[in-house]
Amino acid sequence: MERLADLLLLLVLLFGFLILGTTRLTTCIRAVAVQGGLLGLLPLVLRPQWSVHTLGLAAGTILVKAIVLPWFLIWAIREAAVRREVEPRVGYVASLVLGILAVAVAGAVAVRLPVPGEHPVLLVTTSLACVIMGLQVLATRAKALIQVVGYLMLENGIYVFGLTSLDRVPFLVEVGVLLDVFVGVFIMGIVVFHINREFDSLDSARLTELRD
Amino acid sequence: MLPGVAAKTKAVLTGRRGAPLMQLYWDLFRLVRKGAVYSTTTTWIFRLAPVAGLVTPLLALGLLPLDGRHALFGFTGDFVGFAALLALGRFTLVLAALDTGSSFEGMGASRDATFASLVEPALFLSFVVLALASGQLSLEGMLGGTQALPWGAAAPALAMAAASLFFVLLTEASRMPVDDPATHLELTMIHEVTVLDHSGPDLALLLYGAALRMALFAALLVGVLASRGRLPGPAALGLLVAGLLTVAVAVGVVESSMARFRLSRVPQFLVAASVLASLGAILQLLS
Amino acid sequence: MNLCFWGLATIVAAAGCAAVLRSRPVLADRAYGLLVAVGCVVAAAPAVSVLAGGSAADIQIPIPAPSGPWVFGLDRLSAAFLLVVLGPGLASALYGLRALGGDGSRRGVATARALFAVELAALALVVLARAVVPFLVAWEAMAVLAYFLVTFDNERAEVRRAGWVYLVATHVGTLALIALFASWAGAGGGLTFDALASRAGSLPARGALVLCLALFGFGLKAGLVPLHFWLPDAHASAPTHVSALMSGVVIKMGIYGLIRVVSLLGAPPAWWGWLVLVSGVLSGVLGVLWALAQHDLKRLLAYHSVENIGIILIGLGTGALGAAYGVPLVAVLGFAGAVLHTMNHALFKSLLFLGAGATVHATGTRIMDRLGGLGRRMPFTWVSFLIGSVAIVGLPPLNGFVSEWVIYLGLLRGGTAGGSIRLVLLGVVGLAIIGGLALACFAKVCGVVFLGVPRSDAALHGHEVAGGMLGPMFGLAGACAFIGLAPGLAVGPALVVGASIARIPFPASGSEVFAGIVRLGLWSLVLVVLLALGAVAWAAVRRRRSLTRAETWGCGYALQNERMQYTASSFAAPLLAAYGRLAGVHETHAHGGRAFHSQARELVLDGAILPAWSAVRGVLARLRPLQHGRLWVYLLYVIAILLLLLLYLAQGASP
Repeated sequence: MERLADLLLLLVLLFGFLILGTTRLTTCIRAVAVQGGLLGLLPLVLRPQWSVHTLGLAAGTILVKAIVLPWFLIWAIREAAVRREVEPRVGYVASLVLGILAVAVAGAVAVRLPVPGEHPVLLVTTSLACVIMGLQVLATRAKALIQVVGYLMLENGIYVFGLTSLDRVPFLVEVGVLLDVFVGVFIMGIVVFHINREFDSLDSARLTELRD
Repeated sequence: MLPGVAAKTKAVLTGRRGAPLMQLYWDLFRLVRKGAVYSTTTTWIFRLAPVAGLVTPLLALGLLPLDGRHALFGFTGDFVGFAALLALGRFTLVLAALDTGSSFEGMGASRDATFASLVEPALFLSFVVLALASGQLSLEGMLGGTQALPWGAAAPALAMAAASLFFVLLTEASRMPVDDPATHLELTMIHEVTVLDHSGPDLALLLYGAALRMALFAALLVGVLASRGRLPGPAALGLLVAGLLTVAVAVGVVESSMARFRLSRVPQFLVAASVLASLGAILQLLS
Repeated sequence: MNLCFWGLATIVAAAGCAAVLRSRPVLADRAYGLLVAVGCVVAAAPAVSVLAGGSAADIQIPIPAPSGPWVFGLDRLSAAFLLVVLGPGLASALYGLRALGGDGSRRGVATARALFAVELAALALVVLARAVVPFLVAWEAMAVLAYFLVTFDNERAEVRRAGWVYLVATHVGTLALIALFASWAGAGGGLTFDALASRAGSLPARGALVLCLALFGFGLKAGLVPLHFWLPDAHASAPTHVSALMSGVVIKMGIYGLIRVVSLLGAPPAWWGWLVLVSGVLSGVLGVLWALAQHDLKRLLAYHSVENIGIILIGLGTGALGAAYGVPLVAVLGFAGAVLHTMNHALFKSLLFLGAGATVHATGTRIMDRLGGLGRRMPFTWVSFLIGSVAIVGLPPLNGFVSEWVIYLGLLRGGTAGGSIRLVLLGVVGLAIIGGLALACFAKVCGVVFLGVPRSDAALHGHEVAGGMLGPMFGLAGACAFIGLAPGLAVGPALVVGASIARIPFPASGSEVFAGIVRLGLWSLVLVVLLALGAVAWAAVRRRRSLTRAETWGCGYALQNERMQYTASSFAAPLLAAYGRLAGVHETHAHGGRAFHSQARELVLDGAILPAWSAVRGVLARLRPLQHGRLWVYLLYVIAILLLLLLYLAQGASP
């Protein structure tokens, strides 16, 4: 089971790199969807004695992260007729290198971090790396839509970290986080949709024009 | 023969019948019997390159434990030698291309050198993963011997290294999506245009050297994926051959499912290979 | 040891010869060449015997306080660096005989020769000094003499500018060194190195200040990024044999100083090791990247010196980390790799500079895009330049490969040990990137300069240089090949030197290295034999076929000319583009996109230091009103300062 968990976490990381390295917006969204799906499987693997709690968590996560949100984003792309390229502020190669640095730092921190309970090192590493990569996407990608993907990555990282305290804290925390993000994404999507109608552009730098 | 297998796979997947598997050998045979044309611009380095292109992969093959136990020529730290040998072959080839003074060859040489330089970290990082996983510093120790690579404990890291090595293989063997071995438009090809001015027996040597290069990396990959230290000799060799064919088929599948990258996108692909390998190294360091 | 001094005296005598016999140039040149050669050989003999296991007694010259006795000594470290000084130094001196003044112009030549010989002696003394004062004196002599040698062509403005930048940089470095030794010896107790070593334990913060000053002062001399800013200009502007000496030997004194400080202090703290390792990786990668962007052959080689200093520092950092974390094998391998690579770089970098000088001599231009096809016109220079290139890229079967192998082993052994030291694997990534880029860079140099068709009349009329210039190049190329094919003879002593730097006995686990090096040598031989056999056999095959000579196939274009060849800039463009802004390439389009020009900027000097300097000057200009020439105001200043100092003292003295 430990092996399987490692494999899932590794795939989560790899899809993170895919998001950093791809030029296509839809690939990004699909990658974050797959990430969500993998994360949904994770509690099942980590806690082999499946309780209602874990099952519910898994089902909820997969439903929200892997199906609803991505579908919603893809719908937004189609409706808002957004161009398909990512348009990064920092180049793809540099993003990848920064990403691997993020993983290295996350690993170094994870080894030293006193997380209660027995967990694979990779769990904490992945969680921290996901958070950093998410922040990186937020900081270095211009489009509002891919920034939503960044938020989702960030949230995925927090979710993974939440898994370390799966036994002690009720799953309501998880659901709460999910809901927050869901609402956030929802509003963001609508805003994006309307901004696009008004301004023909989704560059978040132009959002500052809305100040007055 | 491996390029033949790859080409056949590609043909079958795209619904053609394809050239026979042994086509490369026919080509070589035909070329060796032909005369050669030398440009008046070229010097001795142009004639040395084909020889170096054959000798370097051959000697590098000597560093790999092909029967799963011993290499012909292993020594501590020989993975540095492995990489450096291939670099030597590449260096002479690039010089030979520049020797012709043609801008087409110059272009090929430039791209060849660029990609070779970007792929180097990926290759070394993969070796690092292997060295960390096995605790050995020679290819013989990493891939051969009875204490095989710990696929149980270090599986994720080794998988990353293997994936990275596959990327390296695609690059070094000038396959899709980095290069297109089939194109004959000078502006779009890389390896083919680098050897544009070689003809006759020289071209034969270069073609064979390139095929050997591919076989070399395929053998390395098979060595990582399937340790054969405990098998009896013939079985180990049989497994090697099967593994080589599998890799060639995989290359064919990749080639038929992907288009060649835009040139400016290739570095990203190569960096991705390095990222994979360094992810492997980090994982190995964490465990 | 005495023999060493006799040798150095002979070298200085050669300088005298050149200066005195000014009126009879032919005789002067012969005597000079002979004396320098004899002196170098005589001085090198004790060094070889020390490396082979012998020992040499220290020499003490009693000089009264305040400087204390001047001690000179020859231990293994000194011996290794003495060989670094004398081998390439001799080659460059002999080459200079032909290259400088060989064309009949004698202005300043005799002086330049004399200075060169004294510079050699000063370099040797830096390495031999065993006390602070003689070390600093020799250091300063070396630095100032180098300034005069660099500015030999002082009618050209860019040479004068390069000379000034160099002079400022080297003096800032010397200042740091004086601060270093002052803070170390501050408590009193003698200025000999032995006395310093005995006080190493009592330094505050385990010698943090000393180590940082050493990294700055010696790093400035060695040219590690970002302290390399003076180096490309100075090396490119000097006469070729001086460039060879500067790049091959003088900057190595920075490395020597760092190693000496480490060996006197004992195991440095780990953070310093990391600092050295990371700056090594930075220097290496950025140095080679910037080299790739150059159009000027000598500037390109100068940036490669930055790169190789990076590689040496990777080795040094690995060694320091091995010592800090207590992994003896890693410490020995790292230090040994650093020393060996220093030696190797001295050999092949002087070889390359001499080769570049030969092409400049033959064609009169250093711009690569105006050269081409010189391989046919200068076959001997081409072969030796190629040997140097293969060596510097670190390819078998030459010496660069051997020392990089040692460093890789050190890094990997660090990686397979336990604990934080495993992060040295970062160095592997650095070395791999450097190796790949260096290959591309030297493929570009060799291809563009020596192969293809001449791109200008200058290159078309290039001719082979005289035997007096070829001889030293062949000597250096032979040394490169020798170390490459008999690596045991070089790695063995280097490992012993490494152990002596780390001040530990050679670890038993190092036997794998010895076994490896023997097989490595065999393997290199096999490679050479196979290549030779292959070439002969293939030539035989070719002879049976019908061979046709024709023009290079132009893919159907009928009108080809030499300007249509791939140039140095176009060759490097895709690789530089992959590294983006780091490469410092400045591209301009003109005439509506029909003309294209790219040029490489020196990011540190032009990008940071000069703007910072003009900002400082702007601030200082505001202080101008303070200077108005009235005496009584100046007196007021003096009194004010005096009062302030007294206040400070009073405050310090109060309990």
